[in-house]
Amino acid sequence: MKRQRALLEYALGALARRPGRSVALAVGLALVTGLYASALFLTDSLRAEVESAAAGVPDLTVQAMAGGRPALLDAASLEALDAALVSEPGVRSIRPRVWGYLFWPAIEANVVLVGAGEGEADAARVGFALAQRLGLREGDRLALPLPPEGSLVLRATTITGEETALHDADVLEVSEATARQLLGIPEGSAVDVAVTLATPDESPVVAERVAGAIPFARVLDRPGIQRAYELTFDGRSGLLGILLLPCLAALLLLAWERLTGLGPEEQREIGILKAIGWETRDVLVARLYESTVISVAGALIGLVVAYAFVFWLGAPGMAGAMLGWSTLHADLDLVPAIDLTQILFLFGVVVVPFAGVGLVPAWRAAMLDADRATRQT
Amino acid sequence: MKSRVARLLLSAALFALIGAGLVVDASSRRTTWTLSRPARLARVRELGFADLALSSSSRWLRHPSLVERAAAVADTPDSLDTDPAVGLLPPERSAP
Repeated sequence: MKRQRALLEYALGALARRPGRSVALAVGLALVTGLYASALFLTDSLRAEVESAAAGVPDLTVQAMAGGRPALLDAASLEALDAALVSEPGVRSIRPRVWGYLFWPAIEANVVLVGAGEGEADAARVGFALAQRLGLREGDRLALPLPPEGSLVLRATTITGEETALHDADVLEVSEATARQLLGIPEGSAVDVAVTLATPDESPVVAERVAGAIPFARVLDRPGIQRAYELTFDGRSGLLGILLLPCLAALLLLAWERLTGLGPEEQREIGILKAIGWETRDVLVARLYESTVISVAGALIGLVVAYAFVFWLGAPGMAGAMLGWSTLHADLDLVPAIDLTQILFLFGVVVVPFAGVGLVPAWRAAMLDADRATRQT
Repeated sequence: MKSRVARLLLSAALFALIGAGLVVDASSRRTTWTLSRPARLARVRELGFADLALSSSSRWLRHPSLVERAAAVADTPDSLDTDPAVGLLPPERSAP
């Protein structure tokens, strides 16, 4: 124990004697760890958000297809669907929906317009980001484009809260009749049908019934949508990880170059140590302590910086890689979904290769002949 | 003068303190998030949409480049089609 403490003391002294090199390596490691950790934290946080809301998504969403493109479900299809599913004991509710995208030239953005029940014709529930963009407050009026060359004036009765912004930031909820008018959806038709089941396991059977009732139906199930999100997040974070690989490679190369190039002073130092009785093993351990202290310190700094960057600052610059092209998205107020596996993964990706790169130089330093090392300098 | 090992231990303690602070921050954020979960879930149930409001599905529009400035470069070779036209759950026609 005493011996190890002495070796660690020596290693720390060696780091202090070469502050420029030590700081450069630690900063490089902190940067690489920080970048990887930010990508990981951001992805897992978004994934947690999607998973937490999954229970609210309909078990099945039925769409009509025409020419390989989504089309409206007409009244006949809706009736056929209703007749096919009404006898199914596992079907809890069948809800035809009227919604769509409305391009609003005034803000150069797409708004998700949702028709919800029989409310007041001019009442609108406005999403948080949309209200912010328009500078709207409750009670204000807003004019939506109504072709041809007209507009429809609505009243913002409610502005949704920030806590639901990740789900409805760009949503404008109006009465079903108003939504039909603005989107041009004829009475009796629907954009899709949300089906809720008593037992989600029955979705393949119900999907089969739907296929029988509407020949060109497209049925999306909840697990499928969740899988798509999983793949998207995995794909995008993987892409970010690959993009960051050159940074890691450059750092390891720098570390290799820095750690292999033993200067005359270092050679003399090792020569003296061996001359006074240090064994090869002692020199090796001391060098390993040096690289471990640098790598652990760098990685820890990187993790702290990544946490602050993602959860306090909202990952500016990096969040864009995870988001779509939406111009009306909520400010990212993310919740940490960090576990020990992520931290171990980061250490495995950054710290272990760094310590590995330090091994050979440490061995070379340890194998120096004392007599030669002191005579050369 | 303190030994270097003692200074290292002090630094480690400082990191542990920062780590504990971050754990407290994360736990407080999670508590707020968990408390607001019923409201979010209710809203998702009302709307029935799975998607986060981070990307609008403007690709359904006939001329996406008119509303998406980068539409032309949005699709890349070998990129994952998360919304294949055949549907994520094609009905099993062979099922009884």
